Amino acid sequence: MIQKKICLLGASSVGKTSLVKQYVEGIFSEKYLTTIGVKVDKKTISIENDEIQFMLWDMEGNDSYNVFQEKYLRGASAYIVIVDQTRTSSLTEGIDIHTLARQVTNCPALLAINKSDLPATWHIDNSENEHYKKLFDLQFSTSAKTGFNVEEMFLTLAKLLLRSEKNDITTN
Amino acid sequence: MTSLQTKVFNALEQIVLEVIDTDTGKVKWVEGSSQWANDLFPHANAQQAFIINEETPFLFDFLTDARTIWHEDKNGKVRSGLWTEAINNGSELHLEAIAIKQEQHNILVITNQLENFTLQQKTKQLAREVLLSYDRLFLKNEYLHNRLLSILKNDPEQSNILPSIAKVIENAEFAVLIASSDFSTCIENSAALKFFQQKSLGSTQPSRPIDIIINLMKNQLPEYERILTTNSSWDGELCLILPPSTLKWLKIGLYPVKNKFNEVENWIIFANDISTIKHLVQRNEQLALQDMLTELPNRFSFWQTLEKHIISNQPFYLLYADINDFRQYNEFYGHDEGDKLLIELSKRINSVIKTSDFIARVGGDEFAIILSNIDNQTACKEAIAHIIDSINIPFKTKNSEQTNISLSIGAANYPDDAQSVEELMKFVDLSAYNGKKNKINSIQFYSQSMKDASHNLIQIERDLRQAIKNDEFELYLQPIIDIKTNVINKAEALIRWNHPENGLISPDQFIPIAEKSGLIIALGEWVISRTCQMAKELNLLGFDIKLSMNLSPSQVADSKLFSYLCSCIKKNKIDPSLLELEVTEGVLLDDYSIADKLLSNARSIGMSVSVDDFGTGYSSLSHLKKLPLDFLKIDRSFIKEIVTDDNDKAIVRAVIAMAHNLNLCVTAEGVETKEQLSFLVDNLCNSVQGYIFSRPIKLHHFIKLLNEQKLT
Repeated sequence: MIQKKICLLGASSVGKTSLVKQYVEGIFSEKYLTTIGVKVDKKTISIENDEIQFMLWDMEGNDSYNVFQEKYLRGASAYIVIVDQTRTSSLTEGIDIHTLARQVTNCPALLAINKSDLPATWHIDNSENEHYKKLFDLQFSTSAKTGFNVEEMFLTLAKLLLRSEKNDITTN
Repeated sequence: MTSLQTKVFNALEQIVLEVIDTDTGKVKWVEGSSQWANDLFPHANAQQAFIINEETPFLFDFLTDARTIWHEDKNGKVRSGLWTEAINNGSELHLEAIAIKQEQHNILVITNQLENFTLQQKTKQLAREVLLSYDRLFLKNEYLHNRLLSILKNDPEQSNILPSIAKVIENAEFAVLIASSDFSTCIENSAALKFFQQKSLGSTQPSRPIDIIINLMKNQLPEYERILTTNSSWDGELCLILPPSTLKWLKIGLYPVKNKFNEVENWIIFANDISTIKHLVQRNEQLALQDMLTELPNRFSFWQTLEKHIISNQPFYLLYADINDFRQYNEFYGHDEGDKLLIELSKRINSVIKTSDFIARVGGDEFAIILSNIDNQTACKEAIAHIIDSINIPFKTKNSEQTNISLSIGAANYPDDAQSVEELMKFVDLSAYNGKKNKINSIQFYSQSMKDASHNLIQIERDLRQAIKNDEFELYLQPIIDIKTNVINKAEALIRWNHPENGLISPDQFIPIAEKSGLIIALGEWVISRTCQMAKELNLLGFDIKLSMNLSPSQVADSKLFSYLCSCIKKNKIDPSLLELEVTEGVLLDDYSIADKLLSNARSIGMSVSVDDFGTGYSSLSHLKKLPLDFLKIDRSFIKEIVTDDNDKAIVRAVIAMAHNLNLCVTAEGVETKEQLSFLVDNLCNSVQGYIFSRPIKLHHFIKLLNEQKLT
């Protein structure tokens, strides 16, 4: 079984824990409970003949009470920057975090625009959207509440990581 | 280990592991025992060594940090930070690990941090809920504010404006009011009516929502008077108490909607009930007194402290510091960078004031500072100098761009200038506002003359506004003579103000006020319109004379200027080549791209462009080459001493040569003597302007001059 460390990053209250909970346990809670420190959850999935175990590092959100700590990205196979489409500031914070993360790792980076079940309050035109897309390897619109695109996001990531793992083996 | 030590470790909820092999993570359980530790390492045996592996992934990862300590020779330790470990029975452990190197021993201590975790979660939960609420509130208000402004500003006379406003505000979840300039009439949404609904009304209490809000501002805001007289916007928190049972915290936003005369046509007022947020904040005393962004004391805390200082009856200086052009900074770099600037700025100021002094963030970009135990201006100035030194170091944006900011600081002394909180605040607020005239760091100490000057300024602005409506201005023309032909081929249009009581006022006295108050746009439009009329009149009389008009920085930045120019040209049916735009070097340097666009547009329709006061700024050749220009006007200061001063001679010669190289013509301003003229003729200057030929004169005099020239 292949183990992969995936870090979930983003501003506070964007839904990092909710996404993990939805993905791992298939449940969603309306009540907001802030994460303190780090919590690691595991989920194993099978893709064709391969088994991959995700170690999902759900990190405390970054804001004036908690600064981003690059050291937690050590050994990560990928990271997901989660933003809340009802708060523009979470996008700028997410981009900032991504910039900091890029200074320590080149692993695949995903952008998850969460809370797709709620109306978006930001107004991003196509060119901006294209710009953000270019910054990340993959971009998903997700809803931890309805589960929309959550499985798909992790599955796509798993396939991407498996593919690069196999490429590594053949090139080595 | 003694049994007492064991008891201590157990009481501290710690276990101690001795590291046998740092590379593999093999450890031996040395001390401490409890159920949580057994749950964490279910396969570990107290007697035997075990390996920390990926079963506990966070701890396994922490070993990398730990090894850096264990591989050192000297003593040291490193903490992992809090983490949560899910254990097999479905419950969770909240832990922290500490890697220790002590006298050649490699040790790993694991602590159960349930208590600390619960406390942190409680505090941060509260703080984050507050952050979130403010964030949402800000977004909603900003969005609606922009929509309302675009409706109210773009088509103020359209007939369907009221229904569209009513529709926009009705859907808002918070109280929205659009009031007339004097607050006499007002439209409000249902949320406003419901929000300010009163069950029992005292006879003296106002009942209209707008009156209630105005009353609150009058009673709770020392800045109220200044806000209204200067047509400024304000947002902040007020407390609404309506006996017998209502106590609400309101976040009020008051924004003026101004016309081109800089007069307030309407006020947009937002009132959000933030009682729940306040309640959340008040559950945590520290947060109640702290500004969330900068972590400085907030406005509420500042008022408490100021009151305490007054009660103690010791002399002090109160400073009110306001960041110049902060709105532009926010617009240019984004709110995020604006927030970073506020944080950095507050840290810098905090680091240079004494520990006995006090600093608070009292508004968006406003800070109040109490300099305790200071009773003279010299000492106060010294303290301010430290503050200014600290902010003179450039600030860095996230893209590593360096930016400079400046502050307007108002200062007032207790007890000499004022003895009450309200008065002190009113005075420093006025002082800081007065200092804002310049974009540089400024200090204004409160004085009676300053108060008078401020009133005087407001009076001139009021007169100026009236003058535009009453058509009290007149355009004079100063001839420009072509040296080759020795005839008038151009004239500069210069504005004069015929004040009904004070007589003729020169532009030096009122243009800066018009520029500052925004009236320059209306005034500039008048100049353009009148110049076009004059050009038409001259043309009809058979004179092919070009008229040049000066543009101020605000006009150059005005996106509607070019279309206004075109409409005047069309209306008067004149050839655009009869018009010229004059801009100063400063404008070209400040807003290069905006100036470039406007001037290129002007030239594309046949107008010409000249640079006024050339030589006084810092134009570089590379700039001049890129800009769409036709003429350089050498500033009068170089011409004045041209006959006697060798430096001026050299400069003027160089400017003429450089201009000709760039295919630009040169006009010399302020030519008063034959000697000056002869120098300019000898050095191939193209045209001259000055008293030697004529002062600025009225149109009919100018026509007379042209007629005389025709005869000769």
